[in-house]
Amino acid sequence: MRKILIVLSLLGLLVGVPAFAQSGDACNIDAPAGPVTIEMISWPFAITEFYAAEMEACSEVDNLTVNTNLLDSASLREQVALALSGGGDSPYDILHGANGQIADWGAPGWVMPLNDLVEKYWDEYDLGDIPQGYWDSASYNGNIYGVPVVGNTLHLVYRIDVFEENGWAVPDTYDDLLNWCDEVGLDNPDWELIYAMDVSRSRAWELEFFMLLRAMGGDYLAEDNMPAFNSEEGVAAVDLMIETVNRCVGADGVAFGLNEIQVAMGNGGLPLTKIWASRAATMADPERTDLGDVIGYAPAPSVVEGGPRAGSAWLDFYFIPTNTTNDPDLVFQVIMETADAASQQAAAAVGSTTRNSAAEYGGPYLPAANETIGNGIGNYAVNPAVSIAIAKLEQYLPLVWPGDMTSEEALEAAASDYITEATAQGYIEG
Amino acid sequence: MKRNTFFAFASPSIVVMLLLMVVPLLMALWLAMQYMTFRNITAPEFVGFRNYIEILNDPFFWRSFNFTALYIAIVVPSWVVIGFIIALFLDQVSGLTRGVYLSIFLLPFIIVPVIGTIMFKQLWEPSGLLTWVYQALTGARFRVNETSVKTLIIIFGIWYVTPFTIVVYFAGLQTLPAEMIEAASIDGASRLQKIRHIVIPYVSSLTVFILLFSIMDSYRVFDSVFVLSELNPQFKADTVMTYTFLTAMQFQRLGKSNAMAILTVIGIMVVLVPFLYLMYKEQIAER
Repeated sequence: MRKILIVLSLLGLLVGVPAFAQSGDACNIDAPAGPVTIEMISWPFAITEFYAAEMEACSEVDNLTVNTNLLDSASLREQVALALSGGGDSPYDILHGANGQIADWGAPGWVMPLNDLVEKYWDEYDLGDIPQGYWDSASYNGNIYGVPVVGNTLHLVYRIDVFEENGWAVPDTYDDLLNWCDEVGLDNPDWELIYAMDVSRSRAWELEFFMLLRAMGGDYLAEDNMPAFNSEEGVAAVDLMIETVNRCVGADGVAFGLNEIQVAMGNGGLPLTKIWASRAATMADPERTDLGDVIGYAPAPSVVEGGPRAGSAWLDFYFIPTNTTNDPDLVFQVIMETADAASQQAAAAVGSTTRNSAAEYGGPYLPAANETIGNGIGNYAVNPAVSIAIAKLEQYLPLVWPGDMTSEEALEAAASDYITEATAQGYIEG
Repeated sequence: MKRNTFFAFASPSIVVMLLLMVVPLLMALWLAMQYMTFRNITAPEFVGFRNYIEILNDPFFWRSFNFTALYIAIVVPSWVVIGFIIALFLDQVSGLTRGVYLSIFLLPFIIVPVIGTIMFKQLWEPSGLLTWVYQALTGARFRVNETSVKTLIIIFGIWYVTPFTIVVYFAGLQTLPAEMIEAASIDGASRLQKIRHIVIPYVSSLTVFILLFSIMDSYRVFDSVFVLSELNPQFKADTVMTYTFLTAMQFQRLGKSNAMAILTVIGIMVVLVPFLYLMYKEQIAER
């Protein structure tokens, strides 16, 4: 019996050590006086799953239980809108959102300003370690609504061995990319696809359009909230997007979503893709592929040589709903224990974090991601009207590639619908 | 029965019906006349019939309506015909064989709709099994486009609901008096003539019931469209229900989506009233 116990203990250590090595640090929160349950809602990818596990670890504190609910991002936004728009008690205490949600949730008062809590815990959690630019991105009308926990962008991931064998240079501009695609050949039988970008969802078309539009110097809205996406730059951005699909992705590739792209890269069926840094972090994971040693990372291409990289700078935040039924101070501490320096340093192995002190712990994709973010196109303006423009572009842009609309027609239709909606909602003066 | 006694017994049902059906319907009617988004949900603006006018001028609504009509036109007759044929086949076998076949045919009906759709979708993904089979058989890659997505939605619809019609027809066939078939056999009727002149008229009331249910059910198709098309407008595979959902959740037009729901109820009623009238007439005739 004793031998069995020793063997079981050793097995436990073997299993437990890697898990311990991957976690951040203990949850140093004073136990609440009575039982408290904190509900977090998030969408899953490697680093948010890590943070969710860190958050749940706070359940070790007496009287404190942290539950995490992970569902896809669209469903999360639906849940939040349904739960918070009516003004009743929030069923969630911590919300995960991205740049778009700062104004979307902040403007109607669904989430609370965190300025006082950020100021109170600035020194304790060394919040100056998070760049000021990230705090600015978390703010709307002077209020900080979210704690930035994940940095993200889209950049190139490629097969180093294949590019070296063929003497190919990794594309630095879209012209390079298109020429490279022509050289390799869209119907090249050696590859399942020669290049992949996610255009399998309506949102993915809109995201790619946004990156190209901004890289060409355009933007979604003018200062008076009138549409600016239907400009010459807008049409050129849609045309470039369609040309990239036609010359590089092909009819077979438009069905490839992010999961399929990752599988194709891991299986050796794809030499080049533009994909999220959050995915790139796990692209060379030995549990997913045998090709981890030959997977390389490069910044997103520019539209013009020397111009900004066509990759947006995304941040993910944790928010606290205004109508949380728990003490916001305690909820904020749970967030900060999840996003403190030790946790972010551990998290950097699976994703791009937000603290300067965690940067050196990042994976091999990080230089490409940082180059794209640093010299990229930024992100949406923090303006609730942008959400309306996004919804309309999602409706019309996917109709261009099948030939149902021209670039001009799609943008004009989106602009017309946007004006109607934005006027009705008071963002444009009628 | 005295009126008071009737109401004493019926009142719990009436109250539940009022709370679960009439009150939401009245609320939907009121909401359909508001300009309401998630941002002004506590203070919506009254706009009268503007939402309805907007819907009737919305090309995306008509596109979703057209696909819904196409779906009904293909799926409902398929349910009736395939279900009836399989029920006839099951009626001809007995014992363990019947049990085995019945279990196989009922399998799709047992699976939770959304799970079934997700599994079906995975079979057709780039690395899916049926994609591989398709490529092996045709030599061409399976392409996800408007035609293929719409076809998959329709095939899934037929596969998923046909077991219901099988069960209904099979139960009906069990009550068919053997003497009628025997008499027809003595008169020299062929198998097809027996089906044409005895079986089909005998199950006609069931057919009306199945049509009633099927039209209503297929008009409300949502899960399979949601999963298989991912609501991507590129595939033009929205149905009235998924477009109503999109209008509410993506475009945040809650008033407009309520107006669509009202139009859906009206649409179903317009289609169903003739069937209900037919059933009513049949019942009167039977009495």
